Amino acid sequence: MDADFLPSHPPVYRSAVAPLAGSGTPAIHAERVEVRYRNKLVWREATFDIRAGEFVAVIGPNGAGKTTLFRMLLGLHWPSSGLLSVLGAPPHRGNYRIGYVPQRHTLDEDTHLECEKLVRLAYPGTRWGPGQRWRPLQWGPRFHPGAEREAAAQALEDVGASDLGSRSLGALSGGELQRIFLAEALVGNPDMLLLDEPLSNLDLRRSRELVETIHGLVRARGVTTLLVAHDINPMIKCLNKVIYIANGKVAVGTPDEVLTTERLSSLYGVHVEVLRDSRGNIVIVGGEDERGEEGA
Amino acid sequence: MSGGWSGIPWSWNIITDVRLLWSFEFMRNALEAGTIIGILAGIVGYFVVLRRSAFASHALGHTGFSGAAAAVLVGAQPVYGLLVFTMVTASGMAVLGKRASSRDVTIGTMLAFALALGLLFLSLYNGYAQEAYSILFGEVLGISSSEVALTFWSSLGVLAVLVLIYRPLLFSSLDEDVAEAKGLPLTLLNLAFLLLLAVTISFAVQIIGVLLIFALMVTPAAVAVRLTSRSLSAVVVSVLLAVTGVWAGLFVSLWTNYPPSFFIVGIIFFEYVCVRGIGALRATALLQGIEAPEEEGVRSLRNAALAASVSQVLFVGGAAVLFLSLLSVPLAAWGSSVLSGRELGAFVALGSAAILGGVSSLLYFSGFRKMATSSREFTTPAFLTLVGLLGIGFTVGGLGLYLAGVDLASSAYGLAPVAELFGAPLLLLGAIFAVVGFAGQAVGGWRMGLRYREGSLRAGAILMILPLVGYGVSFFGYRRALARGTPPGPPVPST
Repeated sequence: MDADFLPSHPPVYRSAVAPLAGSGTPAIHAERVEVRYRNKLVWREATFDIRAGEFVAVIGPNGAGKTTLFRMLLGLHWPSSGLLSVLGAPPHRGNYRIGYVPQRHTLDEDTHLECEKLVRLAYPGTRWGPGQRWRPLQWGPRFHPGAEREAAAQALEDVGASDLGSRSLGALSGGELQRIFLAEALVGNPDMLLLDEPLSNLDLRRSRELVETIHGLVRARGVTTLLVAHDINPMIKCLNKVIYIANGKVAVGTPDEVLTTERLSSLYGVHVEVLRDSRGNIVIVGGEDERGEEGA
Repeated sequence: MSGGWSGIPWSWNIITDVRLLWSFEFMRNALEAGTIIGILAGIVGYFVVLRRSAFASHALGHTGFSGAAAAVLVGAQPVYGLLVFTMVTASGMAVLGKRASSRDVTIGTMLAFALALGLLFLSLYNGYAQEAYSILFGEVLGISSSEVALTFWSSLGVLAVLVLIYRPLLFSSLDEDVAEAKGLPLTLLNLAFLLLLAVTISFAVQIIGVLLIFALMVTPAAVAVRLTSRSLSAVVVSVLLAVTGVWAGLFVSLWTNYPPSFFIVGIIFFEYVCVRGIGALRATALLQGIEAPEEEGVRSLRNAALAASVSQVLFVGGAAVLFLSLLSVPLAAWGSSVLSGRELGAFVALGSAAILGGVSSLLYFSGFRKMATSSREFTTPAFLTLVGLLGIGFTVGGLGLYLAGVDLASSAYGLAPVAELFGAPLLLLGAIFAVVGFAGQAVGGWRMGLRYREGSLRAGAILMILPLVGYGVSFFGYRRALARGTPPGPPVPST
């Protein structure tokens, strides 16, 4: 490939080793971060490190600021004080090293478009002009012809959705759709995945299947993954860390460290009971407003 | 509208008719502008549907009304007023309604204000009735060649910008939040798109007016996305539907002397109804296939092929006899002569051919459905067979309406032209459906014959081509009659 065609994005889809794995630099480094949304304090005093290649669940009640955390990592929202770095740099918008699956989606059952097209558009998602053959009209990184198709096919294969490529987006079930979104996030070969409630509309079996897929990706590619969820149980065995956000505070650690009666009680300031059954499932009782948590 | 124009004589020879239409300058202008706008509206409309901006396009059209009224008031060309007003409104929409969820209220508020302004301008202007009418419903036959040129160059500009922003626009239409995270300028893209929409609408208003803009901007694309889920093919289909609507509308309107806007919208609406109906049909249990052993399916198909073959032979024979005897009758005696025994026999043959044809279609349908359980590829022939049956229904209904219209025309009922107007297109559409349906039936039967080594199925498929021969014979018979003098039928609409 010509030197001036060398993209700032990886032109080949799969990189053998995640660049940051084992290098000692944390994938996310937060130091006394405080965040406000429309002048209201969301949470503060957050200090934590997420190492490269870790699989992390982000849990907590609605409105606690989980999505805000993601928006900060994506550079769409700024911390009001403190230090935050993502993949060794301050967060900035349009960071191609992060793949993102938002909680809210524009498309619905009336969207008649092939799934593969959505995945291809996301590669890398910032190009202008009508298609890859129209070189003169392209800004930014250039790709060898067919790269986009190959990348999309690879991403679909990696999430186990190769057979969905030619189906219409509007015709998919919730679980199938989440796989397509995952492929859309993966197609640029990111070093970090931010998944906002991908399990929210899935039944237990589909949830477990999707978690297995995601966990497989984390292990195979060393991609750091943060996943917002209401129910931690489908993934409890694969997690490296948990970020628990509640009451304006953030607690980070392994599930065994964070999800204990003592830790959560001190975080909330009221008594919270963490119950475990014989198979390791967790139920969190109490918490904010003394209501039963949705964590079970 | 077009003054005392009373419809052109229709000769049933398409080439002569088109040549005749092309000889009128106003018609050339209308066709050129209509084609340009059809292409543009088809493409922009795809994004309107994808971005759910149907309400925005509707509102921009109405805003254009006050723009045109303002232009008329100051003595400028309406199109400039349209452009200014729609573009200002589009910018306002883009700035105020950032998120898709909050757009409707913003748009509605601006729409109401714009319409109120339009009312004010109209009341300030004295001779408003004619102008208002042409803005509201379009005046495609009044387009001048300089307006065509302006439309052409502006459309080229719109297309160029659209090509440039195609990918980001598509992406942000599908997944707003990811596009934002990837650093795409959402507000800018939205603004650019709404401005393109404003320009497109300003020119489309000339063709079909602000009240009917929805049909051209949204419906073709809405139909297209239901037919294909590939973005490029959807755009192509959408363009084809819009352009077909404009052309067919213009032709029919000139032939019948009713407003072109009605026919353009009517034809596009009909396309929509057909596609929705077909979609509903496809989803029903009718096409899901029935559990049956393969031999049973093959047996149904063999019976169907037999019935079809007999029906085709009867049809062609009957038609040939009828035409030969008609040709031998002097022209003046057409319609008044008493049926001879031979002709009566021909009619009986045609009638039984129709009944047998219906029976064979039903048999084909059940056969294909039985096969569909073992192989998905036979759901399409089953579906096409249904379309053919629908076509027969349309043909009969259309013929009835048309003849009723001709019959009523002698009396003074105002309903007569309506019956004719809907009868003729229905008849034509029924014929198209029937031909498509039977072609699908024949191809399906042929493939089935190959697969199961059934000679009778293949023979039936070949025999199904016979009606086409029959149509050809009738056409040339009619041409021969024409050459001998003006025949009394098929009846020309009396206006």
